[in-house]
Amino acid sequence: MMVSGLAIVLGLVQVAQAALSKEEMVKLLATIDDRQTNGGDYKTLAYIEQKQHGKDDLLYEAVVYRRDADDKLMILFLKPKAEAGKGYLRLDKNLFMYDPSVGKWERRTERERIGGTGSQRNDFDESRLAIEFDPAYVAEEKLGKFAVHHLKLTAKPGVDVAYPVVELWIDPASGNALKQQERALSGKLMRTVYWPAWNKVFSPSKGADVYYPKEIRIFDEIEKGTSTTVVLQKVDLSALDPNIFTKAWLESKSR
Amino acid sequence: MTGSASLRLLAVLALRNLWTHRAKSLVVGALMALGTFLLVLGNSLLASVEVGMERSITGSIAGHMQVYDKHAKDELALFGGGMMASDDIGQISSFAPVKAALKDLPDVQAVVPMGITMATVALPGELELTLTRMREATHQGDATSRTRLFAQVLQIVAQMKKDTQHTLSLTSDVARVEQDVAIFDHVTAPEFTLFLERTPLEALEYLDTKLAPLAGDGRTAYMRVLGTDLDQFTKEFDRFVLIEGQLVPQGKSGMLLSRRYRDEFLKNPVARDLDKLYDAVVVQGHRLAYDAKLRDQARRLPAQYARITYDVSAEAAAKLEAALKAELKLPDANLADLMKAFLTIDDNNLAARHAFFEAQIVPNIREYTAEIGKPLTLRSFTKSGYLKAVNVPIYGVFDFKGLESSDLAGGQNLIDLPTFRELFGAMSEAQRAELAAVKARVATRDVGRDDAEAALFGDAADIQGVQAQAAVGFDEFSGEALGDIKKAAEAATADRRFTAVDIDNGLVLTAAVVLKSRDRLVPALQAVQGALDQAKLELKVVDWQKAAGLVGQVIWVIRGILYVAIGIIFLVALFIIHNSMVIATIDRTSELGTMRAIGAQRLFVVTMFIAETLVLGLIAGIVGSALAGLFVGYLGQVGLSAGGVDVLVFVFSGPRLYPSVSLMHQLAGVATIVVVSLIATFYPALLANSVPPVVAMQAKE
Repeated sequence: MMVSGLAIVLGLVQVAQAALSKEEMVKLLATIDDRQTNGGDYKTLAYIEQKQHGKDDLLYEAVVYRRDADDKLMILFLKPKAEAGKGYLRLDKNLFMYDPSVGKWERRTERERIGGTGSQRNDFDESRLAIEFDPAYVAEEKLGKFAVHHLKLTAKPGVDVAYPVVELWIDPASGNALKQQERALSGKLMRTVYWPAWNKVFSPSKGADVYYPKEIRIFDEIEKGTSTTVVLQKVDLSALDPNIFTKAWLESKSR
Repeated sequence: MTGSASLRLLAVLALRNLWTHRAKSLVVGALMALGTFLLVLGNSLLASVEVGMERSITGSIAGHMQVYDKHAKDELALFGGGMMASDDIGQISSFAPVKAALKDLPDVQAVVPMGITMATVALPGELELTLTRMREATHQGDATSRTRLFAQVLQIVAQMKKDTQHTLSLTSDVARVEQDVAIFDHVTAPEFTLFLERTPLEALEYLDTKLAPLAGDGRTAYMRVLGTDLDQFTKEFDRFVLIEGQLVPQGKSGMLLSRRYRDEFLKNPVARDLDKLYDAVVVQGHRLAYDAKLRDQARRLPAQYARITYDVSAEAAAKLEAALKAELKLPDANLADLMKAFLTIDDNNLAARHAFFEAQIVPNIREYTAEIGKPLTLRSFTKSGYLKAVNVPIYGVFDFKGLESSDLAGGQNLIDLPTFRELFGAMSEAQRAELAAVKARVATRDVGRDDAEAALFGDAADIQGVQAQAAVGFDEFSGEALGDIKKAAEAATADRRFTAVDIDNGLVLTAAVVLKSRDRLVPALQAVQGALDQAKLELKVVDWQKAAGLVGQVIWVIRGILYVAIGIIFLVALFIIHNSMVIATIDRTSELGTMRAIGAQRLFVVTMFIAETLVLGLIAGIVGSALAGLFVGYLGQVGLSAGGVDVLVFVFSGPRLYPSVSLMHQLAGVATIVVVSLIATFYPALLANSVPPVVAMQAKE
């Protein structure tokens, strides 16, 4: 009896030690955001591959352009040839898709499946967790062989996000996000995302490192058996064309 | 007694007995006549429905048979049973071998390649569309058109501002509404016009990103498209009739829109709903006052006023406002309020409002999103799941004759086969090789969902070691990338052409087989399957009824219901006849005994009973059959209404079925009732047969 009582007390102490305060969680999220943000421009070459049960794999090579200071993003497909020139452009709260084979822009939603894969705009964009979500501590848990913080994030009122509830697993030692589960308002699990490894590159404009996931694994929880892998092959932090984040720029590439 | 004398005696006795028990005979006879009537009527209707349905299915898109993948996961269902686009009916990698195997068979008239997929058509709102047109005009250097279109934007903004001011009095989020008003003010200020003239693309960017989101979303329409050899299709399918525009020239990419689809999905929603109400109230005579569904449709109309006010140009808006003021006698109202008042309809004003709408409003709006002569952008999720978009020029609008009001038939739109292949995502070997090369270069490892965490965060994982990388400058447009982008863009404006060889040497989902004579369906089915097997093609053939899917089975359902109903009637008739005859036998025991005593043989007694039923059955059968013949003849003149039920319109091959009766059905009806009567008489006859002469004597004593 004495032993089990002691065990409970020790367990509570352990939980109390592991649990983070609201401020600590917000700080942790802000750190994750800040590490991935660059002061200047950002460009990466991404490989996107989706596997689907009973269907051909979807493969793309695309360039992702970001100007975090202005919250701008563009994804331009380069391969395969048949898809070259297709692109997504995020301006303010608008996400536009351009298809040069029909010469038209189309407004898309936050949940747009990029190129029909399981990846979405926010998988490529700057991280805005601390700005868009309120965190709550769930528990300290095991993820594989690692002990991690499990947080539940709820979208702040009036903020336009793809999923209103996000659960996040963070490595306490490195502060890296490792796993994310996204839920619809009903609580239904929609996607599970893993970031198994992180890279960093020094940014002269920021005066610090910019973190980026080496690889992103996305599992569709609705269409079981569908998974998407994103590999960020190389990152370039050189200044981009000042007018790059415009419809005109993307159109000009095909004219 | 001679045979003929016996027969005469039997007939006289039968008629005498029927007359003696005339009340019973009348009831039993009426029941028999009703059964015959229903049997003849039902069979006549079924035969007519079957012919109508066959005409609908074979003459619209199916042909007499369809050939498709023998190993398909799902069964072919051209008209539903699930959307064909989502059904997995396999594919035929090349049409040429199928054509070669079948075209020379003696019963085959034509083999038509086909493929159906679901596409979407974006239906942007009026503002979004106007901005797109302004962008196109800017790219073409057409400043005049851009200025004219901007005037329309200003007209829309003026309407939006008025609506927002109304919202201001209702909302709690005043700051947000004020933000919107600031955007409206910025756009309508003279400085913005100058901004547009100086840097049009920048000004358009502002309109796209700041103004357009305030106008609400557009719509997306799903479109079922049938890719085929259009030239051959229009010749071989006799229900096809072009009603507007022209056929797609041979070898050119193009589309023919179904009129039914265009009216339902691509028409201005106000024009469409007003047309529907006009048709229901003025043409068909329904009343809004008594029909809650129609009343609900009418109630929703005024809320859609912006579909008109946003769509008219600034000059047209001024003229329309004046005309509406005069029409409605509301001299002080603005255009939005006038339009709302105009669209508030009732039974009395509907005809006049519809006439005004057609004369004054339709010429000033975009009545249809898709116009003949202009390209329509179709988007489709390919077999692999990525979104493919293609611009297809619209050449004409068609109907399937007799099926003008059927959604089942009208849901099909026709495109050329190469365009279908693009939308379907048919991949060439070169494309597969390209993907394989990219995949091999990156070489990701497979990780399954179930063991993802063990694989990614197991013993071998190092999550804390963030690798420092050197920033690598790269030029994404070196190499072929830019050229590939330009090639994709050229596809948008290219006049795409193809040859008959291109049609044959490529993927299709099915092949329709049209026969020289429908009467040869059964042997032709065997011949076609034999030819496919001989050519070692892993394909199967099904007749039109199976190929149609659920709708093809409707005939079996109708037949089942009819036969069950007739079966019940005949069972009741059988039971009543049987009981009547048993009672008659018991009533006539003494008479039968007497007959036996004075020398009547057992066979004579049995035959007398059978003759009695036979006479009644024949009379009732002939009367029932004749009445059914008259009734079917009448229906053949006036037609049997499908009541607007889509499946019935389809199986009737039109809004009314005009049935006909055949002598074969009438004779079959009479024969059936006679057989039923004889079965019912069997036991009473045996009972009568067993009455001994002594019974008569006992009765006398």
